[in-house]
Amino acid sequence: MSPSTLSPIAFPDVALPESARQLRTEVRAFLDEERARGTVLGRPDSWLAGWDRDFSHRLAEHGWVAMALPTQYGGAGRGFLERYVVIEELLAAGAPVSAHWVSDRQAGPSILQHGTEEQRRFFLPRIAAGQCFFSIGMSEKSSGSDLASVGTRAERTAGGWRLTGTKMWTGGAHVNDYAIVLARTEEAQDRHAGLSQFIVDLRAPGVRIEPIRLMSGEHRFNAFHLEGVEVPDDMLLGQQGDGWQQVTGELAFERSGPERYLSTFPLLVSLLRELEQRTATAEQLTQIGILTARLHSVRRLSLGVAAALDAGASPDTQAALVKDLGTRLEGTLIDTVRSVLPTPADPHATPGSHAELLAFALLHSPGYTLRGGTNEILRGIITRGLEQNR
Amino acid sequence: MNTHADTRTHTIDTNTPVISADDYDTAAFYSDPGAIAVVTNTTPPNAVALPSPQASTAELLAAAQEAGRRAVPAPFAETALVARPLLRRAGLPVPEGPISYAIAPELTIRYTHPSDSAVGSAGSSGDDDSLLVTGTLRRVPWARTATTVVVLATAPFGPVLFTVTPDQAHLAPGANLAEEPRDDLHLAALEVPAAQVRRIPRELLEEAELRAALARAALIAGAAERCVELTTAHTGTRAQFGRPLSHFQAVKQEQARLIEETALVRAAVQAAATPLDTGGRPARFAVAAAKTQASASVAEIARIAHQLHGAIGITQLNPLHHATTRLWSWRDEDGDEATWAVRLARSVTADTLWPALTTAP
Repeated sequence: MSPSTLSPIAFPDVALPESARQLRTEVRAFLDEERARGTVLGRPDSWLAGWDRDFSHRLAEHGWVAMALPTQYGGAGRGFLERYVVIEELLAAGAPVSAHWVSDRQAGPSILQHGTEEQRRFFLPRIAAGQCFFSIGMSEKSSGSDLASVGTRAERTAGGWRLTGTKMWTGGAHVNDYAIVLARTEEAQDRHAGLSQFIVDLRAPGVRIEPIRLMSGEHRFNAFHLEGVEVPDDMLLGQQGDGWQQVTGELAFERSGPERYLSTFPLLVSLLRELEQRTATAEQLTQIGILTARLHSVRRLSLGVAAALDAGASPDTQAALVKDLGTRLEGTLIDTVRSVLPTPADPHATPGSHAELLAFALLHSPGYTLRGGTNEILRGIITRGLEQNR
Repeated sequence: MNTHADTRTHTIDTNTPVISADDYDTAAFYSDPGAIAVVTNTTPPNAVALPSPQASTAELLAAAQEAGRRAVPAPFAETALVARPLLRRAGLPVPEGPISYAIAPELTIRYTHPSDSAVGSAGSSGDDDSLLVTGTLRRVPWARTATTVVVLATAPFGPVLFTVTPDQAHLAPGANLAEEPRDDLHLAALEVPAAQVRRIPRELLEEAELRAALARAALIAGAAERCVELTTAHTGTRAQFGRPLSHFQAVKQEQARLIEETALVRAAVQAAATPLDTGGRPARFAVAAAKTQASASVAEIARIAHQLHGAIGITQLNPLHHATTRLWSWRDEDGDEATWAVRLARSVTADTLWPALTTAP
């Protein structure tokens, strides 16, 4: 094929290995058991809101938490595509995965890549066992998409560092064990230099957690105040001053996963269940079909990024593209569900009823296109990727 | 498709000069009756080679996308992805040259030679499969230049595939928005000899619909890619207020959406290659999703491409119209997004939606 403008954002063709098919069957059987137990409730946004340590622990017993970590650190040593299959099954089912979500997706891979041997040996087996949970300490009040502007400081002490500052949107800080905190260790001309990452014990003195309630009233996020928190030297993650590279290296993992288009999927399943009680009109079917086609296509792109990651590539542009498409689809799904079967959203309706799920998905919806980089910023990354490859 | 273009190319005609998709004058082109033969094995980038008959579905789809990207003025996808495989599946010889197809359930078909001991109404059984066909094949792609038209219809004995040549019909020329030939072929009690007729299973009739829809989706993917190329080239060079358009945030935002929507269509088409070969439910799902997505994305792709081209894009001075008029036509041909979306939606329930989405890969 002749060179095309699209080549920088070309997506590899995907063929899931037979082991992944087998894995899917096993996960579905596990989910059936958990449904019978009453823990898998088919709720939207379960990677943010479905917090269940015991569920995470049982999942870990099957080897399905941090499953891409090497076996020497307690992981399952499986590939990204196999991990992909497991998490897409969990999200589509609306399973409560938020307790281990950050440990699995970011903290584990990050410690594996940048951590010291000591850190790997300490944290990774605990993460893989579903017994050690992490939060992310990146964003701040004036540092959202402009992450390089973080103001949290780490000052040298005799045995390590003293961290001072306030992180925002720290999901789960009130219930998790550790946070990976991005802090400025050095004033530099280049804002991207002089940043470092630290593993901070959320029970350490000087840590103060203050709830930031969502508009639904839920407590998921926090302001995470570091009031002179002492962090020993061996809790510096990676090289001092390399924080920016480390953080941006994680973004392809963070941006392209199935969570970027499946947060509202359980609502579509709920809609189909509602429609099975009546005869659907052609217009209703058309809208559902168009949505289904889009889900199918976005999933394919998302799998393409997983395949690229599996092959050791850094598909940052593709990941940004998937996240913009996927998170917009999550919003579109809600609009379509409303239009196909007009139902007043009701947060006080029976939990799990269509009206309640709709209310829940809707109240969470503004977050879909914000978390992990706003869509407007992502689109800038896409056009820049195109120009750089010209 | 590289390997096939280089090594195992099937040539339709190499004598006719090749006209680059960028250069050809549409009106002059179609007035030349020999011009259809531009689908050749000459050196890219001026032509798109028809892949060898042994090419995989994925390779055929890639080639059809390329044909869509170049606005190849020939029934390329129709020949490679629809007509030839159907003829092979039905056990009929595959003729040289461009071949078109028509899925025409409304034809009136009788036996040419009714059997003496007929049971039922006249013509409901025959002493051979020679058929008398009456009716119209509507908007047949490139009929005027096709060597053969593959027709799928319903005969007294059930689903049937047969071939006609355009000279056996009265041809009423027509065209789509891109001035691609879409001709009506009127058949008046045309006798189709038994040698050109094959009884086919219902699944082949369905496969014909799937092939036609997927071929069209692949063409759409290619033309969408062309929109991206032309648009980024334009915004990268056209300066306003002292800087290129591509430096404006508002332009970047729209351009990214154009790229995304195009990537989505490509992914949907790519995802249908393997299921089409295996057939059954996965093929119905993947192809319905591909044509739904391709057709549904056209509005956004054409809108952004034109918006970012400014006024030049609405003229024939700029090649953009080759792509956008095709996109608008192709989204309706072989089933629009609503038609395929309904089929897609009917195929799933609350319990089967997720398994259907994850059947392939």
